[in-house]
Amino acid sequence: MPRIVRDADVVWEGNLARGEGAITAASSGAFTALPYSLPTRIAAPEGKTSPEELLASAHGGCFTMSLAGELTAAGTPPGRLDVHCRITMDEVEGQGHLIVHSALAVRARVDGLDAEAFAKAVDAAHEGCSFSSLLRAAGVGIDIETTLDGGD
Amino acid sequence: MATDRNAKVTWTGSLMDGSGKIEGVGSGAFGPLDVTWASRAEEPAGLTSPEELIAAAWASCVSMALAHGLAGAGTPPERLETSVTVSFQPGEGIIKGAIEIVGTVPGIDHDGFVEQAEGARRNCPVSKALTGIPEVTLAATLATA
Repeated sequence: MPRIVRDADVVWEGNLARGEGAITAASSGAFTALPYSLPTRIAAPEGKTSPEELLASAHGGCFTMSLAGELTAAGTPPGRLDVHCRITMDEVEGQGHLIVHSALAVRARVDGLDAEAFAKAVDAAHEGCSFSSLLRAAGVGIDIETTLDGGD
Repeated sequence: MATDRNAKVTWTGSLMDGSGKIEGVGSGAFGPLDVTWASRAEEPAGLTSPEELIAAAWASCVSMALAHGLAGAGTPPERLETSVTVSFQPGEGIIKGAIEIVGTVPGIDHDGFVEQAEGARRNCPVSKALTGIPEVTLAATLATA
């Protein structure tokens, strides 16, 4: 399969404390000129997105697709997956601000799947999701909490 | 103080024939956004993807870090235009990130700007979470007046 390329554009005006930026999904156009700023990144979001919120969306999206792929390959495609992702940024002594943690909470409704097979699919999804791999490589902690709703 | 940001994603059906939604984010800034495997792996057809969201997170983080560095050096930017391209190879993972920055920055020369851009690329929190990407390129230039 050929390489897949995706672009995003950002315009920033002014210094850090009082400046403001705008974020555009350039490949798809799915969102355009979303405003962001320092105060809304580190304190209350006030309706504005941030790099960390975009990472939460990316990791949630990547893991969800990865899990759908594993369940499909095992012959038990999901009825529905609900995934919540929370990214935490913190100041680490001597290293400045780091992405320190990603917490995934997964609720799955899958016909004909038992707990053991579900756990196996979750592990495989965690291994296979390209973004999980990158976060692991950078030493970012990842927790996955799972709930399987009986489909039968 | 730690900062938490959230997103909620749902998926129904198989990977190839099913579809998902980034239902929403904690800030309410966007969503729901549809996602599918086909739009991730082939033409986007108006739909975002994890790789595009990573590109957006990265571009926004590098821009802020660069604004911070430039202001600290006494040359705050008037305007920074940052584009990030993320390349994904199915079966292999995210294999490349390309960062391009064009800055309008009074009082700085090309070398000084490139040095600041390098620092921002190295030190922004998203860059530090993406150190596993095998190839990252940076092209930083000053806008011609």
